[in-house]
Amino acid sequence: MFLTRSEYDRGVNTFSPEGRLFQVEYAIEAIKLGSTTVGVCTKEGVVLGVEKRVQSPLLVSSSIEKIMEIDRHLGCAMSGLIADARTMVDHARVTSQNHAFIYDERIKVESATQAVCDLALRFGESVHDEEAMMSRPFGVALLIAGVDENGPQLYHTDPSGTSVRYEAKAVGSGSEAAQSELQDKWHKQMTLKEAHILTLRVLKQVMEEKLDQHNVQLAQVTSDKGFEILDEVRLKALIDEMPV
Amino acid sequence: MPDGSFAHPQERQFNPYSENGGTILAIAGADFTVVAGDTRQSEGYSIQTRYAPKVFKLTDRAVLAVNGFAADGNMFVKKVKQRLEWYRHAHAKDMPLRAIARLIQTMLYAQRFFPYYVYNILGGIEEDGSGAVYSFDPVGSYEREACRAAGAAQALVQPFLDNQIYFKNQQPPAGSSHPVHLPLPDVLSIVIDSFTGATERHIEVGDGLEIFVILAKGRSTQGFDGRSGVQELSTTPEGDRVFVIRRELKKD
Amino acid sequence: MSIMQYNGGSVIAMVGKDCVAIASDLRLGVQSLSIATNFQKIFPVTDRLYLGLPGLASDVATLHERFRLLTNMYTIKEEREIEPETFAQLVSSTLYEKRFGPYFIEPVVAGMQKTPSGGYKPFIAATDLIGCLNFAKDFVVAGTASEKLFGVAEGLWEPDLEAEDLFETISQTLLNAVDRDAFSGWGAVVHVITKDKVVTRKLKGRMD
Repeated sequence: MFLTRSEYDRGVNTFSPEGRLFQVEYAIEAIKLGSTTVGVCTKEGVVLGVEKRVQSPLLVSSSIEKIMEIDRHLGCAMSGLIADARTMVDHARVTSQNHAFIYDERIKVESATQAVCDLALRFGESVHDEEAMMSRPFGVALLIAGVDENGPQLYHTDPSGTSVRYEAKAVGSGSEAAQSELQDKWHKQMTLKEAHILTLRVLKQVMEEKLDQHNVQLAQVTSDKGFEILDEVRLKALIDEMPV
Repeated sequence: MPDGSFAHPQERQFNPYSENGGTILAIAGADFTVVAGDTRQSEGYSIQTRYAPKVFKLTDRAVLAVNGFAADGNMFVKKVKQRLEWYRHAHAKDMPLRAIARLIQTMLYAQRFFPYYVYNILGGIEEDGSGAVYSFDPVGSYEREACRAAGAAQALVQPFLDNQIYFKNQQPPAGSSHPVHLPLPDVLSIVIDSFTGATERHIEVGDGLEIFVILAKGRSTQGFDGRSGVQELSTTPEGDRVFVIRRELKKD
Repeated sequence: MSIMQYNGGSVIAMVGKDCVAIASDLRLGVQSLSIATNFQKIFPVTDRLYLGLPGLASDVATLHERFRLLTNMYTIKEEREIEPETFAQLVSSTLYEKRFGPYFIEPVVAGMQKTPSGGYKPFIAATDLIGCLNFAKDFVVAGTASEKLFGVAEGLWEPDLEAEDLFETISQTLLNAVDRDAFSGWGAVVHVITKDKVVTRKLKGRMD
């Protein structure tokens, strides 16, 4: 296995004889090391949830930022190399603002997602006069949640620049168990409240620590209030409501 | 110099602009919009052609009228259409009217220091189904209005429209108020009167008249279906529809 | 800027059925600054003849006085009042005398003209600042809002309007035209002339 890869996993823009780009595949592997991230789409809006691994009691948990706002109607949760995600979210924010500036309307969720995917593929060796570009694939997966004229939507992007729409999606270390739980519990008529509870329940199942308002973060995107991160008070209230 | 030397400095100039006359006009109704323009194109006292369209269908719900320097106008419409096509590919839908309006502003302002010498009037149906008119100056300042005239006979037509569309200087009968939107037959009559009036008194206006009518989704063609010279331009009978009415104007 | 636009102001005259109307705005300005809102630009010549003098304000005063002198001289010599058409010719020749140093005025004449049968017929005329006559059958315009007046009049005017309808038509035309002109406005005056009376009305317009 490793013998066949040894020559072709160096260059980021070199296909192996079997037609694979190993660096991209390794980048996808990197996500599986990230903390679990969950997204659930309902008719009322989209819910995003992440596990915050608080490795030390001295760490200030509120400084971990894994859910970010892209625009008033767009949010994003991430798993993998968070530093890479910042570059991508920055790009999404600029794209979204630029769209509003030029067209006087909110960008569609699909279009914003596509813009991020376009960026994901822009890696390789830059030529001498060119602006410096990303030398490797991004090592992060994003769950992009948003509301537009087509209603609430959830998209998943990975380092290969592929984007797929989901009703509910989990990524990161606990994603396999989480995804099958989502598949089991998600239904069309789900309310936003039910989605909150489902997100927390799925996170709880795959987390090693006991779930509380400090080690998870929840956000939602709705058509009337847009993107909002739930504060610890609302989070605690939801956790207290969870069935044991 | 006659001997072929260049003893004195000489200056030559190229003027990149000219003015090709004509007039355009747009009026918004409750669930329709009318955009019209004459078809004469002139330079100075010469008529270059009696049929040069100034009003263009952009989508099934947007029509753009351009007036001023014809070369700039035609190129501008071409570029707007190109941007609409790109938008369709990127976002899988037709650009809404207010988005086209904003796009036109950014496109015009991008040429702030070598402007398109063109006055634009955009008419069509808004996403809420209402008729809308957007008017622009050559560098992109824009506004949504109920009606607007531009071009050679703007000074002749605009005060007439103020009176007939906005009921300026008119007192409503006691206990009533002026209508906010006029019915389509009234609007068409006002458009035709405006152009026959402008043709009568302005040498750069005349030859032909093209009246584009954009109807909101589900609105009947009541108001002009009896008229001659009507042609439908919509790609589909569902959704908003576009029609053009072609008429003659005096050619002298 | 042309001297014709220095003080601002506009005049219009229209023909109706057995009547004529002449109307003007009341503004006097110095370029963009408004000085007065009661500046007279239309003057009676006889009981059935009015003269409008839009243009440079000093020439309005000068020409008004000059035409008063000339019509008085005519009345004394001829022992009769001057007819509108004759007066129009007088205006024309007076202005052409100053062919190479003209008065900056574009006069408008409106009145009821005596016919050989003893009746009266409507008469209007306008000239440019050197006296080139324009006898129109429908309406004549002059002043800083002339383009706008043309446009609105062309849309509103129709043949054989009765005195009251003619009043409404000329009023609407003037008001809506001057509202789109920075140099005209600030109220208006309208005279409707019929064979046996003149009705003069002052109009309130928008004062901005």
